[in-house]
Amino acid sequence: MALLQEIKVPLLSVNDTTLTVVEINVASGSAVASGDLLMVFETSKTTFELHAESAGFVKILAEANNDYEVNSTIAEIFSTLEEAKEVSTPQFAIVDNVTVTPGSNILTLPNPEFTGSAIFSNSAKKLLAELGADTAVFSGWDLVTKEDVEKNILPKNKQRQSPIPIDEVTKNNEILPTGIVSKPVSSNKKREIEYLSAVQHTGLISTVYIHLDTRNIFNYVNRQMKYLKNSLLPLIIYEGSRLLRTHRLLNAFYYQDKIHFYEAVNIGFAIDIDKGLKVLKVPGTDQQGIFDIEEQIFSLSEKYIEDKLTVQDLTDITFTVTDLSGEGIHSFKPLVNKYNSAILGISAADSRTKSLTLSLSFDHRVTEGKEVSIFLRELKQRLESYSYTDLENVRPDVTCYKCMRTLNEDLTGLGMIPCIAIDGREGHICASCWSGH
Amino acid sequence: METSLSAVNHKIIKQALTIRRVEEKFLELFSLGSLNGTVHTCVGQEFSAVAFAGQLEKRDFIFSNHRCHGHYIAFTNDVRGLLAELLGKASGTCGGIGSSQHLCRSNFFSNGIQGGITPVAAGYALANKMKKNDAIGIVFIGDGTLGEGALYETMNIISKWEIPLLIVCEDNYYAQSTPQSVNLAGSITARPEAFGIKTFEGNTWHVDDLMKQAKTAINYVRSEVKPAFFHCQTYRLNAHSKGDDDRDGGEVEGYRATDYLMRFAAEEPEYYGRFLTTIEEKITGMTAAILNEEDLPLNKYYDPQPEGATLIEWKSIEPVNKRQVELINRFFKDKMEADDKLVFIGEDILSPYGGAFKISRDLSFISPQRVFSTPISESAIMGISNGLALNGFKPFAEIMFGDFILLALDQIVNHASKFHHMFNKQVNCPVVVRTPMGGHRGYGPTHSQTLDKFLIGIDNVTTVALNALIDPTTILNSVYEEKHPVVLIENKVDYGKKIGQNHSKYFTYNVSKDRYPVVHIKPVMSSPTLTIVCYGGISDMVANALEDIFLQCDVKPELIVPSLISNTAILALVKEKVEQTGRLLIVEEGSSYGGFGGELVAGLMEIVNFPVKIKRVGALPVPIPSVKSLETQVLPNKERIIREIQTCFL
Repeated sequence: MALLQEIKVPLLSVNDTTLTVVEINVASGSAVASGDLLMVFETSKTTFELHAESAGFVKILAEANNDYEVNSTIAEIFSTLEEAKEVSTPQFAIVDNVTVTPGSNILTLPNPEFTGSAIFSNSAKKLLAELGADTAVFSGWDLVTKEDVEKNILPKNKQRQSPIPIDEVTKNNEILPTGIVSKPVSSNKKREIEYLSAVQHTGLISTVYIHLDTRNIFNYVNRQMKYLKNSLLPLIIYEGSRLLRTHRLLNAFYYQDKIHFYEAVNIGFAIDIDKGLKVLKVPGTDQQGIFDIEEQIFSLSEKYIEDKLTVQDLTDITFTVTDLSGEGIHSFKPLVNKYNSAILGISAADSRTKSLTLSLSFDHRVTEGKEVSIFLRELKQRLESYSYTDLENVRPDVTCYKCMRTLNEDLTGLGMIPCIAIDGREGHICASCWSGH
Repeated sequence: METSLSAVNHKIIKQALTIRRVEEKFLELFSLGSLNGTVHTCVGQEFSAVAFAGQLEKRDFIFSNHRCHGHYIAFTNDVRGLLAELLGKASGTCGGIGSSQHLCRSNFFSNGIQGGITPVAAGYALANKMKKNDAIGIVFIGDGTLGEGALYETMNIISKWEIPLLIVCEDNYYAQSTPQSVNLAGSITARPEAFGIKTFEGNTWHVDDLMKQAKTAINYVRSEVKPAFFHCQTYRLNAHSKGDDDRDGGEVEGYRATDYLMRFAAEEPEYYGRFLTTIEEKITGMTAAILNEEDLPLNKYYDPQPEGATLIEWKSIEPVNKRQVELINRFFKDKMEADDKLVFIGEDILSPYGGAFKISRDLSFISPQRVFSTPISESAIMGISNGLALNGFKPFAEIMFGDFILLALDQIVNHASKFHHMFNKQVNCPVVVRTPMGGHRGYGPTHSQTLDKFLIGIDNVTTVALNALIDPTTILNSVYEEKHPVVLIENKVDYGKKIGQNHSKYFTYNVSKDRYPVVHIKPVMSSPTLTIVCYGGISDMVANALEDIFLQCDVKPELIVPSLISNTAILALVKEKVEQTGRLLIVEEGSSYGGFGGELVAGLMEIVNFPVKIKRVGALPVPIPSVKSLETQVLPNKERIIREIQTCFL
């Protein structure tokens, strides 16, 4: 007779003071073994599985689709079934800004006199037939609408968006315009709003823009990069991380009248491929070579697509890069994330002018236009230095006096250094030979 | 041909002179701007007042008209109350509310609606007859009133039922400004004679004769317990009201010369002067004092009442294996036996027929003296009921078809609903009028309507609609307890329905424990996603359609059915429910414009601060056709309701 495990909402990220329970995988009162999946949370960044640490009988104190404060008790494992069945006042706090969506089917107290089987609306019947779904899940229900079927049968990530004419009553009870269709924002989106508001609400955000001459940079990229062709992302993260070591105000954040500097440089890159907007972390960016960075971007993206991201992949990001070059836009103003002071935006390269726009939004409470402009100009210079590897226009007469490789044959992409050779003649030496490789 | 002056008692002359001086005082005060509104004076007609009103007994009563000051003074001797009333003071007969045309004090009533007072007076007199108190009544009309239909409905009934009422027609030859020759066909006395009513004649120039003739008529009515009609010729020497006199100056002067008081002044100047001085002193003194008095404050007149339903307690609806008509009939049988003040009145209601819809079955067997089957006279049915109600009875008037209630509307609006307030709360008029509305019987344009919209906005009238979802007894008991007028709307299709049948197992059927219960039907477990409000006869159809609405519209409906429809006591409940569902559908059997649904929506909009989608469904705005296929489409039906939900909410 004992309480074997008290399961509380874990703190998975400093950014998340509440988590959403998205799935409950065991029924209250059922027997569980150590390691059994109990429920799944959704954080602002990812999902998190909660497993039993003891064998016993579980008492679930949470409901799916509700938000719970970190540290509130949401399940308990007891040694006996009786204990698990005991009625107790739930100790958790449902976060009050998560209101019941009007029009949704929140079951009221069961009517003990109701013993009939559910009837299904014509729309619900049609959907059930399409899905070939089992109606057993609705045993004990009275009326089942299409929306009920969608909520209870369709897998969460395949939920159909059915327009709801009137539902969300705004929290501050504003009178909304008529003739609108409203639906609640996802918890992901809510957090996005929260994190972006944290910095943006001050209104002290400014953005500077710079043109990047892309002539020949892509030649270098496409020649050198293994996975990511036509993308400046690895290069920008690589060069940016070097610059952030000295431009420390851009690798920092403002909080309660203080500027907090990050010791590490962990650049995050934004990604949004049908799985929601996420920022993935390249840890210790400034310690990594360009090819390592490229490989990390690639593997993190794969984890994102396969839903295998961990909390570590999403937290402690010190500076963010957002790349919209694939969308063909000319320029944009990125929004600074919570606990960051700046974000770099990459727009699409213009094939005619051979240039693209880099934009850098920054928190004016932390730094100011001049510092940011210097950072951006230095970044531009560093990136444009790669254009010197233009192979079409390589001078044929430059050869490393040591290894006899021509500029065309040089793989470092760094060019050669004019020098006085050992025999006293003027010549060139390649980066490899200079560094003794 | 003039009365010998010496034959007339000086007391009578003083009374007539008092009336004249009061009237002249009013004209003087009016010209000074001290009088709000208007006055109709009876200068020249005073002896009619003295002869009839002055010779009644205290237990008798008077219903008078717009020209009522003389009647009032002659009957009550309350000059001060009248002066204060017209000066708009709180100490006035009716606190200044009614003023010149609307007076009330100890069995004296007046109202400014021509003809409308006659059936009320008949009802009041009928009550006296039923009480066997030997009291009679007089109703004063003018020759202008002879154009009003209500008078003839009343004469027919008082003659047939032998009601002790004396109709005194003060014939001053003009209806406002129009000479009688322009308006009146035939003879005046031939009218009552045609109804078999004993008729008397007299005039105000032969005062001594008039006093005797009036006494004879009064005695006849009292002793025979029968009605009579007195044609009293007279002439008003002043304008109808003020300044609206286009009569020939010579004609007026001619009558002034033969006016009894003018002759008395000329022939007996010493008496006349002494009388006049005394009266003048009295009136002037009173007026001076009254002018310093306070008006009635608004809070003494209008006392806002909290609106009905409390909706705190609910219970489930128990099916009753009885038809609605049996339950209503049972209520009246029980009440008829328990309360000897209950009167049932209407057309064709005597048993064994028992009324067109059998509501009154056996009532006339139980209590024949309190069940009155009337001629086809809706105005008189309602007016007589008003009079009965004023005189201590609890009348339930039945209007056979709701469509016909419009014929009684003057009595409901201008009389029943007004008496309590315009007589400054000295009287209540606890009358009830019941009538069935509704179609689906193929009766066509004038026997199928739902005219509730004309009946829900009458101030001080409680309008209630039965429905077939619950036992009507609670509602009937509440109606029975009301101290003020009630319009009770029934439904001819509902009469035959059994209560609480065909409950769906997917819905919970609750009713509030209010005086006017509210029905709430909701899914047994699910939270509703559509709130529907309807009332009356259509409620049963809507309740039975809930499952189909769910199946076809993919919404979970709840239904709220109020029984009280003259206020929106259900607002708080509707607001609470609509806040959850965001959708409100209102179904009315009548056409929507200007109806209960519009009132509900307006009330809701005054208190909500959240968005809500609203739709009203009612009858199409055309007369209801008899042909079944069209009637079904014109009236709201399940298919149309479902279509509207699909169109408006999904």
